[in-house]
Amino acid sequence: MNEPGEQEVIVVIDDDAAMRLSCRKILAKAGYRVETFEDGAQGLEGVARLKPGLAVVDLKMPGLSGLEVIARVHQLDPLTVVVVITGYATIDTAVEAIKAGAYDFLPKPFSPEELRLIVGRALERRRLVLDSRRGEMERELLKRRFVTFVSHQLQTPLAAVHQYLSVLRQLEDLGEAGGRRREWIERCLKRSEEMQTIIRDWLTLARLEGDRLVRQCARVDLRQIIPNILATYAEMAAAERVTLEARLPEEAAWVRGDLNCLNVLFDNLIVNAIKYNRPGGRVTISAEALGGEVEVAVADTGVGIPPQYQEFLFDEFFRIRGEGAKKTAGTGLGLSIAKKIVTELGGSIAVVSEPGVGSTFRVRLPAWREPAAEEGRDGSAA
Amino acid sequence: MTAEPKKILMVDDDADFSEAVSFFLEQRGYAVLRAQDGREGLRLARMERPDLILMDIMMDERTEGLFALQEIRRTPELKAVPVFVLSALYEKAPDFRIAPDSVWMAHDEFISKPVDLAVLLEKIRRRIGPQAPQEDPA
Repeated sequence: MNEPGEQEVIVVIDDDAAMRLSCRKILAKAGYRVETFEDGAQGLEGVARLKPGLAVVDLKMPGLSGLEVIARVHQLDPLTVVVVITGYATIDTAVEAIKAGAYDFLPKPFSPEELRLIVGRALERRRLVLDSRRGEMERELLKRRFVTFVSHQLQTPLAAVHQYLSVLRQLEDLGEAGGRRREWIERCLKRSEEMQTIIRDWLTLARLEGDRLVRQCARVDLRQIIPNILATYAEMAAAERVTLEARLPEEAAWVRGDLNCLNVLFDNLIVNAIKYNRPGGRVTISAEALGGEVEVAVADTGVGIPPQYQEFLFDEFFRIRGEGAKKTAGTGLGLSIAKKIVTELGGSIAVVSEPGVGSTFRVRLPAWREPAAEEGRDGSAA
Repeated sequence: MTAEPKKILMVDDDADFSEAVSFFLEQRGYAVLRAQDGREGLRLARMERPDLILMDIMMDERTEGLFALQEIRRTPELKAVPVFVLSALYEKAPDFRIAPDSVWMAHDEFISKPVDLAVLLEKIRRRIGPQAPQEDPA
């Protein structure tokens, strides 16, 4: 699991030399980098210097007590997990250690297997905490600095264009630009277009505020607009070797909506389903009437969305990165636009996804009702 | 006379931006390695031990560069490497309040994007030395 150079560091603090030696042997064999210290003061120095992911601390030591060491380790870094070992394991000492912030407790004597297991679990927990803190922190930043993020989105392509031009100017004067000029001009044009797309999406999102949209609502037949959108993206799908398939009801599926917005909505979902698919994959769009609503499902056979990202998916500018995530030229606004449209129209949108299998976006929109029927909305059955 | 060129690691998710800047630095005699995200940047930093790192803060709309910087500072063998933090978003070093340990070191710099090439070059030369065969000041 560990890549070279990415070894997890473990500090062992124990006054018993034999115990230090065996901990070191067991954990080093399991692939960790281990440093041992014979008392609390030296151990804490080591923790400050090495910033370990985990500390194994003996409870009963001369000098600083194990409990004090735990507290101070956490002062240095609250995210260092501490596993406590001791020769006299009573419920009381265990409770005390855990109150002091220890993650777990290992009574002596223990087998190598027990030590490895507990250390593995403790580090796993640390990773989870780190991941979720990271997610929270990023989301918080995103919210707090929303305007800043918009500016960043716009500045990024502009910075690239500016940098190409400034390097070209500098090097042209010295005759060093070589054959780059032509290629860089092309890239500048591309980045300018990217900026236009972002501004366009951003405007779309801003315009969806308010009730203007709802006033424009009319009767729209999904059986008509969906095949049109699919036709628009047939070429793109073919290029990505993705098959498009529609499963539409026999009879008309009328919803209450604005034609433009519905086009933008399904455009976004279908483009995503193509883009985040795999070669040889499939996109299936189905619609069905469910009481007073029509449900449209857009299903792909793509990379899927890791569970920890699903709740952020409709946030503005949210994009999944990391392994399996493609570098795509999206603006990160597509799904927020989709969500906004659906919400304004009085519907809902949700996603079900399994990494490696695919994702399904389900949109529910209010079915069209004749204005006459709308007026007499007393809820009583006719 | 012809020493090994100094190594600069450029971590930036914008391929165009890093192409422009790294081409410029290469013309000025530096060897430039490129990484497109924090993880890859860390891997390269550990493997290649660059003399200086240019790190974009915002990658993929996240403050990934700061996390990478934090990891670099946690890696003993990289501690001494100067890191120039780049961002299109700020004019000066931002305070993200995420660093319990001192992530920011005296030899680090903040540089706003797009970068002023003359300023960048000057700062790099001051940190890791002039690598300009044609104009070597005494």
